[in-house]
Amino acid sequence: MLTTGEYAVAQSTSELETRLEAGALTSSHAGNLPLNSFALTPGIRYANGRLSASARGSALLGGEKWQLGNSTAAVEANTPLLYGVRAEVFANASRLYHDASMRNDQLDAEGRLHFMRQRGGVWLGSGIARPLRVAAVSNVNVSSGGIWTKLGAATLRGSVTSFFFTKVATLTDTTVENNATVCPTHLAAAPAVPTPAIMGTSAEATVATACRHQSRLTDIEGTVHWGHRLLELTVRGGQRFGDRLDVTPESRQWASAQAAVWLSAQLAAVAGGGREPAQPTRGLPARSFGTLGLMLAYWPIPRGIVPVETPASLVNAFELRPAGPSLQRLTARIGGVETVEIMGDFSDWAPIPLIRRGRDQWELLIPLNAGVHQINLRIDGGQWIAPPGVPTMKDGFNGEVGVLVIKP
Amino acid sequence: MIALSRQRVVFVFGLLMAAPGLGRAQDTASRRDLDPLARLSEGARYSIELLFDSARVAGLPTGPLESKALEGISKRVDGRRIVLAVRAVFRSLRDARAALGPEATPDELNAAAGAIRLGIPPAELGHLKRTHHEKQLTVPLVVLSDLVTRGVPRDTASTTIFQLWQRGAADEDFLGLWRGVERDIVSGTAPGVALLNRAREIPPRGPPPAAPPASGARPERSETPNP
Repeated sequence: MLTTGEYAVAQSTSELETRLEAGALTSSHAGNLPLNSFALTPGIRYANGRLSASARGSALLGGEKWQLGNSTAAVEANTPLLYGVRAEVFANASRLYHDASMRNDQLDAEGRLHFMRQRGGVWLGSGIARPLRVAAVSNVNVSSGGIWTKLGAATLRGSVTSFFFTKVATLTDTTVENNATVCPTHLAAAPAVPTPAIMGTSAEATVATACRHQSRLTDIEGTVHWGHRLLELTVRGGQRFGDRLDVTPESRQWASAQAAVWLSAQLAAVAGGGREPAQPTRGLPARSFGTLGLMLAYWPIPRGIVPVETPASLVNAFELRPAGPSLQRLTARIGGVETVEIMGDFSDWAPIPLIRRGRDQWELLIPLNAGVHQINLRIDGGQWIAPPGVPTMKDGFNGEVGVLVIKP
Repeated sequence: MIALSRQRVVFVFGLLMAAPGLGRAQDTASRRDLDPLARLSEGARYSIELLFDSARVAGLPTGPLESKALEGISKRVDGRRIVLAVRAVFRSLRDARAALGPEATPDELNAAAGAIRLGIPPAELGHLKRTHHEKQLTVPLVVLSDLVTRGVPRDTASTTIFQLWQRGAADEDFLGLWRGVERDIVSGTAPGVALLNRAREIPPRGPPPAAPPASGARPERSETPNP
């Protein structure tokens, strides 16, 4: 939830989102039978301009027993945007659960520098992760970089993430190709540390057949999120680089997709499936999964994810022409945005939405008497700016207004 | 059965207790719809209404003050900053009225107040108005404010606009000048240089200047136009 660049864009208003997903989940990994369960996944997320906090967890019913499944609690904070750049910090506590014998907990912290504009951004980050109850005995050093952009209703994101860590490898490591021998012969059976149980094996057994192994792997991942009217579609694919001791063949490539069809303002049908790579830092193997269910969503505070900046360069044309006595036709050409609003002294500073007349054409008839008027423009709920092509002046609130001179 | 009755009693009692509160909430909501200033804190609203009263007493229009308050509310600015902004508008309107005289139109007053808030001396505006008292000062002052907002040095901007005004430049000349300067600034030209270059292109339309501006401001040497 907190790793995508587009969500890192700050918000102008507070937002509270609650969700409850219910449905069937089936997952399998090499050599094991598919695990079918009923999943109940509540989630809550609060965000304002500087801070975001979220929690999400799954309760899985397999057979007759409820089990806590994948769950995450996360906090994100960021500095104000300065020259398009801001610093971000993330902290994350998560639990991954494949089945009763394959589960893991982890703490993450990461810092990022994020350069962003209205329609895209680039980030560079570095952090550490501390897996608990698994094979990695050192902190996992994580370096990441990414780029995101918005194209119409689609958001594209690409990222490169590199992991470096020391793990305690077993002679039959399930995250390694064909259970290959990780430990060189002279290191095998030479435990350096007393490790806790790995994936259900006893500590004693692990200690007897383990060695330390330096692992490095790099993931390149691309995501496309597309939303149009009632449909939301997310497609994800990736490639992993690393030597064969760290990357299993089934983790070299992965892909998954999820679709949500909104049946009403609060109810959506959700379906998805695909393949997830192994998590060697956490000792979890690759798996295939499929989900089908319903999602209930509720926003006690109105949804308000909006970009911080609204460069006037997005506005390709902004014109006012007389359309009758005391009436002006305002036309604007602004592509790839969802909403355009204006406000000014003529509306008592109440926002008025423009009407879309084409792919990038926006129009509005406004009553304007002869004289001098002040006007502001807002795109996709962003900051109020002075429209281009008209004189400007300071508004007294660290912003600017456009000045319209209407001749009699 | 007894438990059910108790529940009903509790429900009716709760409804009776809640009803006045609901009524108050509706009152507050409708009051906010009718009076946008009701969204301000009591203190901020009181300060702003005092400024409205002061404007009425001074014979100044209260429209610009109210507009600034509504603008601040709409932009979710805190009440203290809204009061400061409205007070600045009041003071600049008062200075503009003193400089331009009672015959100034509301648009001229507003435009002059905007220029004063950007640091243009009221005395210069008075001199300007006296030079061509029959012409509307609104557009030149709007352009002047924009130029200063875009980074043209204040003295350069005011001197250039005043000279053009004295040479009889029309509103279209000022608006054409503004468009040209805006384009040049976007192309990378220094704002002051862009203004001086573009001002040269405007032909004189009236008699030669009768007198220099009151403050005698001159363009900054660093902003000398390119040959």
